[in-house]
Amino acid sequence: MPDSPPGPARLVRTGPVRVTAAAAVLALLAALLTACGDDSGQVTLVWYTNPDPGGQAEVAKRCSTDKVKIETEVLPQDTGQQRIQLARRLAAHDSGIDLMSLDPPFTAEFANAGFLAKIPDSLQSTLTEQSFKGAVDAATWDGEMVVLPFWSNTQVLWYRKDAARAAGLDMSRPVTWDQIIDAADELNEKQDADKTYVGVQANKYEGYVVWINALIEGAGGSIVENAEKGTDAKIDIDSDPGREAAAVIQKLADSSAAEPDLSVSNEGTVLPYLYPTSGGKVIRNAGGFLVNWTFVYTNEQALTEKSVAEGGITKKDFANLGWTRYPQTVADQDSRPPYGGIGIGVSQYSAHPEEAMDAAACVVDPENQGLNAELTGNMPASSAGYAYPALRKIYPADLLQLFQDSVDAAAPRSSTPYWSDISGAIQSTWHSPFAVNQDTPEESGTFIVDVLKGRTLQ
Amino acid sequence: MSTTTPTKVTKPSKPLRADTQRAEAENRLGRRLVAPAVVIMLLVTAWPMLRALYLSLFRYRLTTPDDRSFVFLGNYGTILSDPLFWRDTWNTVLIMVITVGVELVVGFAFAMVMHKIIFARGVMRTSILIPYGIITVVSAFAWQFTFSINNGYINTWFDWLPFIDPDTNWFGDHWHAMFAIMVSEIWKTTPFMSLLLLAGLSQIPEDMIEAAKVDGATWWQRLFKVILPNMRAAIMVAVLFRALDAFRIFDNIFVMTRGAQNTESSSFLTYRQVIEQMQLGMGSALSVLLFLTVLLLAYLIVRAFKVDLSAARGEG
Amino acid sequence: MATSKRGNVLGTWFGFALIMIWCLLPVVWIISLSFKSPAETTAGSPQFFPKAWTTQNYKDIVDNPDFTRALLNSFGIALSATLFSVVLATLAAYAIARLDFRGKRAVLSLALAIAMFPVVSLVGPLFDMWRTLHLFNTWPGLIIPYMSFTLPLAIWTLSAFFREIPWEMEQAAQVDGATSWQAFRKVIVPLAAPGVFTAAILTFFFAWNEFVLAISLTSTTASRTVPAQMSYFVGADPFNPPYSQLATASVVVTVPVVIIVLLFQRKIVAGLTAGAVKG
Repeated sequence: MPDSPPGPARLVRTGPVRVTAAAAVLALLAALLTACGDDSGQVTLVWYTNPDPGGQAEVAKRCSTDKVKIETEVLPQDTGQQRIQLARRLAAHDSGIDLMSLDPPFTAEFANAGFLAKIPDSLQSTLTEQSFKGAVDAATWDGEMVVLPFWSNTQVLWYRKDAARAAGLDMSRPVTWDQIIDAADELNEKQDADKTYVGVQANKYEGYVVWINALIEGAGGSIVENAEKGTDAKIDIDSDPGREAAAVIQKLADSSAAEPDLSVSNEGTVLPYLYPTSGGKVIRNAGGFLVNWTFVYTNEQALTEKSVAEGGITKKDFANLGWTRYPQTVADQDSRPPYGGIGIGVSQYSAHPEEAMDAAACVVDPENQGLNAELTGNMPASSAGYAYPALRKIYPADLLQLFQDSVDAAAPRSSTPYWSDISGAIQSTWHSPFAVNQDTPEESGTFIVDVLKGRTLQ
Repeated sequence: MSTTTPTKVTKPSKPLRADTQRAEAENRLGRRLVAPAVVIMLLVTAWPMLRALYLSLFRYRLTTPDDRSFVFLGNYGTILSDPLFWRDTWNTVLIMVITVGVELVVGFAFAMVMHKIIFARGVMRTSILIPYGIITVVSAFAWQFTFSINNGYINTWFDWLPFIDPDTNWFGDHWHAMFAIMVSEIWKTTPFMSLLLLAGLSQIPEDMIEAAKVDGATWWQRLFKVILPNMRAAIMVAVLFRALDAFRIFDNIFVMTRGAQNTESSSFLTYRQVIEQMQLGMGSALSVLLFLTVLLLAYLIVRAFKVDLSAARGEG
Repeated sequence: MATSKRGNVLGTWFGFALIMIWCLLPVVWIISLSFKSPAETTAGSPQFFPKAWTTQNYKDIVDNPDFTRALLNSFGIALSATLFSVVLATLAAYAIARLDFRGKRAVLSLALAIAMFPVVSLVGPLFDMWRTLHLFNTWPGLIIPYMSFTLPLAIWTLSAFFREIPWEMEQAAQVDGATSWQAFRKVIVPLAAPGVFTAAILTFFFAWNEFVLAISLTSTTASRTVPAQMSYFVGADPFNPPYSQLATASVVVTVPVVIIVLLFQRKIVAGLTAGAVKG
């Protein structure tokens, strides 16, 4: 080979290098530019919503005007993922979020991090007056209302009337967890097919902590005392109420009343167990019990429009659906049903803070709360919202009353910026439900404190 | 790729007369040509890694920025004395060893078949490339649905096995879930392994094996005395790349269990601390440790096979 | 001898069948699942084939703006990363295969180290950097790291290919009166093109497949790629993953892979094993 410098090298250097560099720069610029917004007379607000069957999108349309257009973007289904998606963008001071639907456990964290715009005092007092007390509590951090209560959710005990009757349970009086687990167990023994369950949510996720929290509160306890102290808050899970809660979980996990997928169950996976089928028919005197949010009523009602083969139920089956107050952890002590729901937060980094606050106020108007409830089954955060006429048509009066009573009696999870740590630590120590025993509360108590102090990973 | 020696370019830069100027020009040109690639590679690895090193010395959480404080090596101390860290490391090593082991055996069997086969080679090559090319997340979903208690066919098809019944919940406990995760991992990556091994296998001269046959060597003797020793470089490259890949397992776990049932891997733990908990300090310390572990692992594998890696990569 | 030969043939057939089942069963399963109605999978449908075949899922997925947007992101990001990465890698690989320069070994070691790099380690600092540089949740925010992680593979593959190019043919062409540009275009480009193409395919596969960065450095459909979007898929029932819809999405994103594999299987195999087996 001759000793001249290789020919193509020159070409390669003078040609493609520059072209590539230029192309790269252009592409980067183009992509950056498209990330910026467009300019028309109308202000566009973006509202990040949790997934629902379209209620929030409809409310967004109703609250849009000539000047302000509200668009909705749907967040992931898992509340933990919702928190992550929002928090990362807010931490990046992203102005692309104006309104967001916040789940109660992360409200304090977002407020404490300075992600939420201040709600004007006059609006705060209007909303405090308008909303249920539980909803106000869940919306408050450090003495200040930080999100606008939109809808309030709570759990009740759903059950099959035929199964309860066959087990000889008197459902007109408050029942305990022990009673319903024993009842399901008995029915399973009688029918020699384990088709009667006590449905709960026990996947490794926030929903499991909802259950644990309700059990502990139902026994008169509380996971976190003086939450405002942040990482120095007192953790009170290693207590008699904690052990009562563990006893219930242990009893259910060990019984035939546990769903086969107990350790991965969520609000959706438990539904089919209420109406188990065999040979193309819903089994009589089976199915049993289920604690779940308010949406179950409309969900099961919709199933009557499908054939049993397609996963539906008959009208007669639907008439067998009963409801009552959340079960008691300890006999004769009033239960504390879980509190859920959504508050509307306005982003601190919104490019249109005033419009966004006005839009949020419109969204939580009782009329819109009612509309949202009609479309989604997620009940209003105010009694004014419950007065929405369509709701009276959809729901039986006693069920609406039960929902409101339950929200009033509900025990929200503690408002603390460190809830995700506490919740994660509870999930680590209490999952799987099959491993819960009388030592679990003590282990988790120590573990939560270690996590809060940064002494351990979780 | 393998018979490179004859066509390999004789180095044009070492002419008899010591033309230092020309050599210098070539040197400059070479550096300029590799510069853009090197800059991009460093921009996204070295710089962030240094930043991780710095952040790892703080207790720093994105959502409570006021609590940021310098803790020096405190995060490392916390991690290294933490049972969760060691459990996840153990999970990761277990997944790595089992999957790579199974892939090596199955991949070798596949390579033997592909080597012998004289029909439908194109069909087979296409089929084997599909798992390789498929998105890991898709593979994870496919297998999650396969093992699903309500929608999967495993429980119905294998009902006759003593340890499987219609209610077996594959994601309900540690070992079942680990099994499902490993199945997805093995399914997707065995083809890659078998292709590398096939390339190694076709390197072995046929007459060498014939000679062993004539000498009366049994099939097993031929395998262990002739075939495998001659494939050492190919096996090493396959094991090295697959092992390091398996050590970084993330996608399958994310989709199939989200780390529940104690199926978390080291990568998943790091991701969770950094992204989910927004613990930039602790998460960065985990990142640094993960990086060091991978380096150590690479070193151990290369040492174990005693092969010069750059030589195996065709680099003299 | 004859019987053992027949045994061999049988064994090979058996092995062939096994490999085909191994490779294709999960694919067929996903396809079958994509033709089940959402109602059927929600109620639980453990049999392999649908009770009633329906194409509704495909209609739904095409109408799902989040998915189509994610598909666009995936194509855009993967193709851009491929283009830039291959161009840079071509320059680098040419230098490595053809020129003598100081630091060549360092470049190769760097590439090797990056190929082994645990991507998750970078997620934290990259997130932090990208949010200050406003690259978080943008296309370049993914394209740049994808380039870094595909460069090593592309550089190796290409330098292995380039080393086999008989460069002296170029000189011969010039002797025959061609200009150096003509010689490059007519002689070297056709010889180098297959290697470049192979590197491009492998790079594209990586970017198409990547998940860790895709979920960590994006937060909306503005830049979320298909794998990330799929993991956040929400169906009509907010509590159950929409099995059949996910299966449909899986089938749709696998189609490009299958097409590439069908067209270029030889090149892919060559690229995967390039340089891996010497010694």
